[in-house]
Amino acid sequence: MKQRVQPRTLFVCLSLLCLLAVWLSLALGPVSLPLFDTLRAGLRLLGLPISADGLQQAEMILGQIRLPRTLLGLAVGAVLALSGVAMQGLFRNPLADPGLVGVSAGAAMGAAVAIVGGAWFGGMPDAFAPYLLSFCAFVGGLGVTALVYRLGRRDGQTNVATMLLAGVAMTALGGAAVGLFSYLADDATLRTLTFWNLGSLNGASYQRLWPLLLVAAGVALWLPRRAKALNALLLGESEARHLGVDVERLKRELVFCTALGVGAAVAAAGLIGFIGLVVPHLVRLLAGPDHRVVLPASLLAGGVLMLFADLAARLLLAPAELPIGIVTAFIGAPFFLLLLIRGRS
Amino acid sequence: MRRPVAVLGLFASLVLSTQALAAQLPQRWVSAGGALSEWITALGGEARLVGVDTTSQHPASLKSLPSVGYQRQLSAEGILSLRPDVLVGTDEMGPPPVLAQIRTAGVQVELFSSKAELAAVDANLKHLGQLLGAEAQASALSADYHQQLDALQGKVRQAQAGQKAPGVLLLVGHAGAKPLIAGQGTAGDWLLRQAGGRNLAEHQGYKNFSNEALAALDADVVVVSDRALADDQALQALLKENPALAASRAVREKRLVSLDPTLLVGGLGPRLPATLQSLAGTFYPAAQASFAQ
Repeated sequence: MKQRVQPRTLFVCLSLLCLLAVWLSLALGPVSLPLFDTLRAGLRLLGLPISADGLQQAEMILGQIRLPRTLLGLAVGAVLALSGVAMQGLFRNPLADPGLVGVSAGAAMGAAVAIVGGAWFGGMPDAFAPYLLSFCAFVGGLGVTALVYRLGRRDGQTNVATMLLAGVAMTALGGAAVGLFSYLADDATLRTLTFWNLGSLNGASYQRLWPLLLVAAGVALWLPRRAKALNALLLGESEARHLGVDVERLKRELVFCTALGVGAAVAAAGLIGFIGLVVPHLVRLLAGPDHRVVLPASLLAGGVLMLFADLAARLLLAPAELPIGIVTAFIGAPFFLLLLIRGRS
Repeated sequence: MRRPVAVLGLFASLVLSTQALAAQLPQRWVSAGGALSEWITALGGEARLVGVDTTSQHPASLKSLPSVGYQRQLSAEGILSLRPDVLVGTDEMGPPPVLAQIRTAGVQVELFSSKAELAAVDANLKHLGQLLGAEAQASALSADYHQQLDALQGKVRQAQAGQKAPGVLLLVGHAGAKPLIAGQGTAGDWLLRQAGGRNLAEHQGYKNFSNEALAALDADVVVVSDRALADDQALQALLKENPALAASRAVREKRLVSLDPTLLVGGLGPRLPATLQSLAGTFYPAAQASFAQ
C-alpha cells in the first residue's frame, strides 16, 4: 500500500497554499505596486479606516482589477474541480471530465450562437448586450446536458453508459455546430470565438462575478453532503442501492451540479480545460479515493491551481497576456504525466 | 543691452507657452491598431508611443516597443503598467470590460473606425491630428491621400479604355495551404476595386474555396497575401499546395502577385496608395508605365 497523506495534513497544506495563491494574485501583476501600498489598499478594501493618500492607483488596481480576477479564478477553479469529482464519481472512471455530459460543447455552441448571431441581430438592448454571451453559453451548457441526461434515461432508470455515448455524440454535434458558425462568421467574430475557446480571467468585473459566486457556493455546499453516497457508488450501482442510496436521485444531482457549475464557470471565463480532469485525480493520488476528503480538497486545489495558472498567464508576456486555457494545459498535462509515471513505478 | 534681454524674454515665453499647450495633450500613447500606429508615425508621433499591439508591424522600429498583445485580447493591468495617457485603437479593440477598467483608471480611450473607406481615413486622421497637436499635418496627409487615390482612379479609367477590367481574386493563406478568398465587404475587396480589378468572388467575408471552384473562376490575375511567407516563396508555396491553380489563366500568363497581408488589417493605412499603384500596374500591363510614376 502506497503512503498516503493524512487528510488533516493535506487540508492544512492546501489552505496555506490557497492563502499564498490569493496573496500572490493580489500582490503581483504587470503594474508593480510597493508591497506596503498593496497592504494598505487591501486593508482599506476590507473597510479599515486608513487614509487614502497616494493610494488611488493601488486601490483601483487592487479593487477593480486584481480582486475580481482572484475571486473569479478561485470560483472557476473550485467549480471545475468539483464537477470533475462529480463526473468521475458518476462514471466511476478517473478519466471522466466535466465535458463528457456535453456541458462544454453546449456552452461553446451557445457562445458561438451569441458571438456570430449577435452580430447578425444587432439591435440588442444595451443593458443586455454585454451579458448575451454569458447567458447563451450558460443556457447552451444546461440545455445540452439536460438532453444528454434525457437520452440516457429509460423506464425511470439512468443508464450511465448510454449517457456517456449520448454525451460523446452531442459533443461531436456541438463541435459541428461551432464549426458551422465559425464558417459563417466574418473575420472579427471568428477571432472573438477563437479566443473565447481558450478561456481567460481577463476583464473580470463584479457584475459578472455574482452569478458565478452564487452557483459556486451552492455547488460547494451541496456536493460534499453527498460524499458518502458517492463513496457507496464507487462499489457499483446495485451495491450502492443496497446500501440505501437513492442512486437515481444521486445521478440526477451530480449531473445537475455539473451542468450548473461548469455552465456558470464557462459563461464567466470561457472554456478552460484540464482543471476538471487533473485536480481530482491529483487529490486522489495524494489522499486516496474517500470522497469526504476528495471533494473539499479538490475544491481548494482547483482554486489554487487556477490562481497560479492565471499568475503565469498575466506575468509571462506582460504587458500582453496569454489565454489561461493554454497555461492550465501546459502546467496540468506534464504534472499529470509525472504523477502517472511515478504512480506506476 | 536691453534688446537681447527682451528677445530672450520673448523666446522664453514662447517656449513656455508651447510647453504649456503640449502638456494638455497626451504624451504617453499606447496604440492597438496597425494602421493607426502607421498614421501616428506619419504624423510624427512615434516618440510618444510607449506600447503597441501585435498588429502594429510597420514601421519595423515599432517592434522594439513593449507589445500589449492582440488588439482584441488586451489586458487592463498590462496596459496600465506602461502608464499611458491615452489608448488609441479601432472599433475592433477589446474586450469591452477591459476597456472599461482602463477608463476607470483614468486613461483616455480613443476609438477609431476600421472601415475600409476614405471617409474613415479622413475622420481618423483629423482625430489623431487633434490628439497629437498636429492638425495641419493631418489635413495635409488627408488631402495628399485623396489626391493620390484620385490620380490613381484617373489612370485606371484611362487604362480601361485600352483593356477591360480584369477578373481578379485575392487569396489569403498561410504558407500556401487552404487559402481563404476575399469576398464582398472585405478590405481586400476594396483594395482590388480601387486598383481597377473586378473581384470574381461574390460571397461575403473571407471563405474557403475548393480547388475546383478556384479553377472554374479562372481569374485573369491572382493576388496572394500570405501571412507566413513573402513574395516569391509565397507564390511557390501556393502553387505547390494547390496544383489545380497551375492550369489557370493567371498562372499560365504569370499574372500572380503577392500582397503584404498587414495591409488588410485594421483599416486603411498610409502605405496603401503605393501598393495600389503597383497592383494596378499588374492589372493593366499595357498601361504599366503610367502607374509606375
